[in-house]
Amino acid sequence: MIYEELKFSPAGDRMIEVELGDEMSFDLNFIAHSYSAAIRDSAIGGFIELVTELASLQVVYDPDLISYDDMISELTAIYSGMGKTDSLELDSRIYYVPALYFDPWTEECVNDYRANVGVKEEDDPDFLVRLNGLEDRADLRRTHSGTDYWVAALGFWPGLCSLMPLDPRCRLVAPKYNPPRMWTPKGTIGLGGAVTCIYPDQTPGGYQIFARTPMPTWDREQRLRAFHDRLALIKAGDRVRFQPIDQDEYDYIDAKVQDGSYEHPYVDYQRFSIANYHSWVKAITADGDREAAGD
Amino acid sequence: MIEVVQAGLETSVQDFPGRIGYLEQGFPPSGPMDSWSFRLANLLVGNPAEAAGLECQFLGPTLTFHSDSAIAITGADMTPTLDGESVPAYETIHVKAGQTLAMSGAVFGARAYVAVSGGIDTPLIQGSRSTFHMAGIGGVDGGALKAGQSIPIGSSTLPKRFRVLDDNRPPIHREPVWDIEVVRGPNDDWIDEAGHEVFFGSDWKLSAKSNRTGLRLEGPPITFSSKATNKPAEHGEDPSNILDHGYPFGAVNLAGQTPIILANDGPSAGGFINPYTVPTATFWKLAQSRPGQTYRFVDVSVSEAQILRRQEDAHCMVSSLEVILLR
Repeated sequence: MIYEELKFSPAGDRMIEVELGDEMSFDLNFIAHSYSAAIRDSAIGGFIELVTELASLQVVYDPDLISYDDMISELTAIYSGMGKTDSLELDSRIYYVPALYFDPWTEECVNDYRANVGVKEEDDPDFLVRLNGLEDRADLRRTHSGTDYWVAALGFWPGLCSLMPLDPRCRLVAPKYNPPRMWTPKGTIGLGGAVTCIYPDQTPGGYQIFARTPMPTWDREQRLRAFHDRLALIKAGDRVRFQPIDQDEYDYIDAKVQDGSYEHPYVDYQRFSIANYHSWVKAITADGDREAAGD
Repeated sequence: MIEVVQAGLETSVQDFPGRIGYLEQGFPPSGPMDSWSFRLANLLVGNPAEAAGLECQFLGPTLTFHSDSAIAITGADMTPTLDGESVPAYETIHVKAGQTLAMSGAVFGARAYVAVSGGIDTPLIQGSRSTFHMAGIGGVDGGALKAGQSIPIGSSTLPKRFRVLDDNRPPIHREPVWDIEVVRGPNDDWIDEAGHEVFFGSDWKLSAKSNRTGLRLEGPPITFSSKATNKPAEHGEDPSNILDHGYPFGAVNLAGQTPIILANDGPSAGGFINPYTVPTATFWKLAQSRPGQTYRFVDVSVSEAQILRRQEDAHCMVSSLEVILLR
């Protein structure tokens, strides 16, 4: 649910956790991002930074400049002044992420897990197909790449993003690995819960894995143009669309990345309106209902 | 320039307050774990507060200075010597080009700090020189120091010699038991009353599997409230699972039954609850305690924690120094 009133909890002497609700939903996350933007714009004295997560915010403040209680009063006032959810809009870039589905590297990684860590009876893609009632791997690729994803949050590792599918027809679910993997190839695309992620670097991980992108989402050396003013590519509130590619295209892009000439494909001229989104979801859901009724 | 002769166990470049403003992209602040000792070291060599220095963990480095400099060593006692002669901690030391500082294993405490006049001049990465080892950014080539490296230092004029007054030094002790303050929250309501009693009434052993990311604790099981056991499915299966949320600095993060105190290089977010948070002014204790030692948690309010922080900040001022008169 989305709470009637914000829930504030202290997180030590200089942070506050603000919970907006306790569900995982696009609407709640969109409100959280709109709220974050409003907090940043309001420039409260003593506000330092914040993390926007799926259903909550973590606010860092300077207790020498503002007290815990005063910070809560300010945060409450900003939330009250936000207006109705359907009036909210946010700037939102779209990144087009080339993805080689069912690539050899994630397959090798799963085999390595089998040999050294834990039991895995099926390969991850086949497990996802069965669990989500899909026809085959091609159907998995079609479904997973058939929607824009909303960047709901970033964190745990620099640039690691939590992606929510915007088209409800493309929603997939999967449990996480238990125990987790010791390593995951850089650029692996994975699914855990109802969230897709792109591993920015070779790290441990727990999501089911089934694709890999040659496009870097993080570059500590800041070599490519997209990283000249930052280390992590994607921001919360951006959108991502996966574009299926074959091995030749993967190798072509990888070569461009290696020689430093790769340009990240994206567009930066869109505002995301939740009202428009809601009417689109309503339209496609109604179409689906009519088709189902016609069967 | 400083030449690294021996690197020590894990010596890294850090600055205070670290990499601020990039939490939303997943970058922790990093910076010195014991910022009290670190700030005193900078004061002793006349550096501005933002100057970078070295954090030496458990076993210190051996460093040769290639220019006349002032240095200061604070924090854990690693029995420092300069060209084989013992040198004092918490004092400005003038070194000549060619002299070598050697530090050993910590006799007590766990982390020592070395400041050098002019500060360490490695590149700023997102506004900070702090090393974030796990992701390979900041410091010298993104990681801990290695033997044979040259560390650039900024230019400076040689300051007078100072000493930190005894009352202004962090009281790092040899006794194996530490009182660790925590503020309840943000997820204290996921623990039941019996669970809080266990947390505050038990001895917690600091595990050897602890580092700048987190300090892992061993102790009795903690019990949960109905909020943890009766919740929407998207929170996850384990009682300690919660919908992904931001992790505060110093969070006592409960993953299953293992509490991990998230330190300077800790993750910014994740899917486990944080029933308690270690406040800023207690971080020096996290930095100076050693694996195998015992934590006992002390319940403090937000305002008490903020007062402790102001008291610590007051120690990190020029007024904490006395001039050493030349004999």
